[in-house]
Amino acid sequence: MSSNETLLKVEHLCQYFGFNKAVDDVNFEIKKGEVFGLVGESGCGKTTTGRSIIKLYDITSGNIYFKGIRIAAGTLGYKKAIADAKAEYKEKLAAAKDEAEKKRLSDELNKIIADNKEKLKAAEYDRKNCDREYSDELVKKVKEKYEPQLANASAELKAEYANELRKAKHTKLVTQIQMIFQDPIASLDPRMTVREIIAEGLIIQGERNQKVIDEKVYEMLELVGLVREHAGRYPHEFSGGQRQRIGVARAIIMNPDLIIADEPVSALDVSIQAQVINLLNDLRHRFGLTILFIAHDLSVVKYFSDRIGVMYFGKMVELATSDELFKHPLHPYTRSLLSAIPMPDPVYEKTRKRIAYNPLAEHDYTTDKPTFREVAPGHFVQCNDAEFAKYQEMMKE
Amino acid sequence: MENKLSVRDLTISFRTSNGKVQAVRGINFDLAKGETLSIVGESGSGKSVTSKAILGILAGNAIIEGGEIIYDGKDLLKISEDEFHKIRGDKIAMIFQDPMSSLNPIVKIGRQLTEAMILKGKARQKESRVTFNSYLKMLNEAMNAATNESNTAEIAEKCKKFDTFERKHIVLEAEYNAAHEAAVEAIEDIDGLVFEMSKNAVKDAAYRVKKIAQLANASINDYVVKAKAEKLKSLTSALTSQAGSLKKAGADYTSAMQQLGEISDILKEAVAFEMPNFFAMGYYLTFSGEAALPDMPVSELNGFLHRELDEKFMLDFINNAKQGIEYSAERAYEGKANAIKALREKLPVFEEESLDAEKCKAAAKELEAVVNTAIDPLEIVKDSLTHTFNSGLKNEIEVYFTAIGKNKVEQTKHDRVQAKYDKQVAAGKAPDWKVPAAQITNLELVKENIQRQIKRLADHLEESLAGRASRDYDAETIAVIDFLKENASGIVNKVTPRIAKSKAIKLMEEVGISEPRKRFNQYPFEFSGGMRQRIVIAIALAANPDILICDEPTTALDVTIQSQILELINKLKRERKLSVIFITHDLGVVANMADKIAVMYAGKIVEYGTSEDVFYHAAHPYTWALLSSMPDLDTNEKLEAIPGTPPNMIYPPVGDAFAARNKYAMKIDFERQPPMFKISDTHSAATWLLHPDAPKVEPPKIILDRIARMKAKRGDTDVK
Repeated sequence: MSSNETLLKVEHLCQYFGFNKAVDDVNFEIKKGEVFGLVGESGCGKTTTGRSIIKLYDITSGNIYFKGIRIAAGTLGYKKAIADAKAEYKEKLAAAKDEAEKKRLSDELNKIIADNKEKLKAAEYDRKNCDREYSDELVKKVKEKYEPQLANASAELKAEYANELRKAKHTKLVTQIQMIFQDPIASLDPRMTVREIIAEGLIIQGERNQKVIDEKVYEMLELVGLVREHAGRYPHEFSGGQRQRIGVARAIIMNPDLIIADEPVSALDVSIQAQVINLLNDLRHRFGLTILFIAHDLSVVKYFSDRIGVMYFGKMVELATSDELFKHPLHPYTRSLLSAIPMPDPVYEKTRKRIAYNPLAEHDYTTDKPTFREVAPGHFVQCNDAEFAKYQEMMKE
Repeated sequence: MENKLSVRDLTISFRTSNGKVQAVRGINFDLAKGETLSIVGESGSGKSVTSKAILGILAGNAIIEGGEIIYDGKDLLKISEDEFHKIRGDKIAMIFQDPMSSLNPIVKIGRQLTEAMILKGKARQKESRVTFNSYLKMLNEAMNAATNESNTAEIAEKCKKFDTFERKHIVLEAEYNAAHEAAVEAIEDIDGLVFEMSKNAVKDAAYRVKKIAQLANASINDYVVKAKAEKLKSLTSALTSQAGSLKKAGADYTSAMQQLGEISDILKEAVAFEMPNFFAMGYYLTFSGEAALPDMPVSELNGFLHRELDEKFMLDFINNAKQGIEYSAERAYEGKANAIKALREKLPVFEEESLDAEKCKAAAKELEAVVNTAIDPLEIVKDSLTHTFNSGLKNEIEVYFTAIGKNKVEQTKHDRVQAKYDKQVAAGKAPDWKVPAAQITNLELVKENIQRQIKRLADHLEESLAGRASRDYDAETIAVIDFLKENASGIVNKVTPRIAKSKAIKLMEEVGISEPRKRFNQYPFEFSGGMRQRIVIAIALAANPDILICDEPTTALDVTIQSQILELINKLKRERKLSVIFITHDLGVVANMADKIAVMYAGKIVEYGTSEDVFYHAAHPYTWALLSSMPDLDTNEKLEAIPGTPPNMIYPPVGDAFAARNKYAMKIDFERQPPMFKISDTHSAATWLLHPDAPKVEPPKIILDRIARMKAKRGDTDVK
């Protein structure tokens, strides 16, 4: 299903809220066409990661690349590098013996500061201008396409050109990423009809033709298993599952490349959950959607995802394909998480032992700090040297 | 097993602006002591409504159309709000889905935990006193009657004695408890203070030292700190005298710490003493004529007092009590035999074509007198059916005769509106309104209800008569004495804020909260979701309930915390012999929890059985659908989602409510409601597929595969 093309790349993503490190140095890539699951307990930073990607927050440090374009970049890392260098060189300068050495050192320091300032500027520029550059690109494409024909064009073609041009100008890169929210009641405006809710994105993007909008809305409604007549109704007239379908329709009308589904089924009844999961699965196969699937129900994540990342207190502790992760869970937290999954089998359940995870007892990180390493091809674990060796032993068995 | 709670034919509707929504439609289940019943269903299936009815907290627009919820000899649907106050939270407690909304955000956790204990403590004390007195009086009467009133004076004397020394026992034990609690709390306070002093980080040292001194002095009692009372007094006075000097910054704590240590040692030694047998001591001090106790160690003393009591009073008293109990039971048996006869005789009165008000009321009155004689006043576990019969019968008769009048009014009203409508139609108009259906009560159904109640009681009494030979009066007598003592101790155990606090801290430890003393003074927002749910559970357990209702307690929590909370509920259930009603929409979580499972759909129980029955031998298509719509870790195929949504319960379907979403539905499913078909003794399901004439249908492959897979995983084959 998934190709080798990287759609989204998250590099050293950090998101701090004051002293609270909600997300701390998280790295992963999502390939085009795959479903990437993100699991962990509440408060582990999985939702924050999703929101950082869609630029609901300005990230603290790290980079996020979408379709190869840097859409978000944090600046704290560079600022810290400058401060560290200043502190380091202050000592060195004090210890320097002669003028020549002092000069050499201060030149070095200035170079480091200049480098980092350069990077800092670039990051801020990208953060602010990625959308504009993307739309400039689109405008250029539209102009290239229409300009040769414009000289002796009909009025119709001119109108079409104007329309396309306006749309291109209004397009933002981030709208290629869409989000489906957990609570289908809170995420729909109760005073808008379903038509208005679904079409809102299109209108903001610059579509003015009511007929085109209506056609698209109907198409989306039918796609998600609702009917045309529903367009005129208000959200409160729908059941929970139907409301979540409206949320899905609103997301896919923008023809996104990436969908961030933040616990889309957690608030639904079991029987309705299956409907929504099946719907997402259908859409994914039909349009080759890429999905970042955030959830805490491991059975659902396992069923739906190609690869899974496990998060614990802002850190990604394990990342592997879903079969691999469930077959060879390495990190003790993953194992504890897997042992907590309830099974629909009373006899088995009565003998199930839950493994408790106590980070202080499990790891000794006093001397050797852990990093995120590849233990087996495609299987990453947060570990230090001793654990790395241990995990590799475990993989061999 | 002893049944704690029985729900029979419970039917509940809600009045809404669009019409009457039928939320619960005639459900039945029993809950035994120490058992978990899990009610599973989608939102709107009526599972929460059922639990709210049990707790008597239905919304104002709810109408209880019929049925009964029997608990401890009472029908919870018929008792007054005042009576419910004694049960709600006290005997039946509830844990809600969202822990934050069941805690007060601006009151400290400790206060919230102890509040109910203190309030209930007072009420319980009073209640225990009343129960004790009235029961002893009844016992006295039964004893008199058993001996043909031959030595009334002597028996009265004995009961009086029992009462008197029981009072003495109460006073002694209350004193002991207060002193003991003070000692325990003082030890804990000293530990905390000494620790802080050793780290040189003390706050309010003077105040705390004074408080400890007070507590230590309060622990001086004949049976707690006795021998070293003088030493303790001198230590505490020395401590208080230097309290002022501790206020200053950089004060020297060494001498205070040493004194505190000595006090702590004395108290620890005292706390470890065995508790004297106050029951026997009460007798000795009141009636032996001796002013003081013989001087001997507690264990010997206990033996001595026990012998004294048995020889001089207790054996004799027990003998008499046994006679009384036996006599009372025999009389109740006679009453039961009479009642059966009367019930069968009066049944025809209620079987006539149209009932006669005068005759019915007279019959009910006669029955009331007879059925009352069938009740043994001395039984401790009340016979619910007999107790609720009279009020139930009266109520039904009332319903029947008021319905006659109401039906007439309704019919004329309906006719009038219909005539108006017809007139408009005849005039060629198309009215934009409809004629609402007349709300006619079905008199036949009410009548059947009355007959069923009578027949059921007769059958029940016959059953009880059959068990006459196998009664063990010796054991029952002991149970009666214990019951009296338990009530007496209910009077003793006065709940002061201090005692409530120590109880609350014990509870917090029990539900797995670390550092309970620190947590005691925190606010709810300082707790994580799982911890908050633990606090809610602790509050629910504070009153020591019989029945715990959990309404989706883990739905708002994630996997690991969910698993911890489920384990906690299971543990508490085992330790406290709780009966649990566990409500959830997720069949996955109940496999570990439930002894029995009731699957609800559209207000009805569609499948009922043990956990094994439902998971391995599910019979109803809705259960199949629920089981196959959730993925497990090995699911790869497309999920079998249930198409559509639940029916609108303002207009419930004529046939099986699930038929429209059921791919196994047959023609009859749309026409008639299936009855409960019995599959085994424990297992039944309401689907026409179980009818002998129905085609044989296998459960979906996805379920059979899963069962086989899990079996292989468990590595055993012997699942029945």
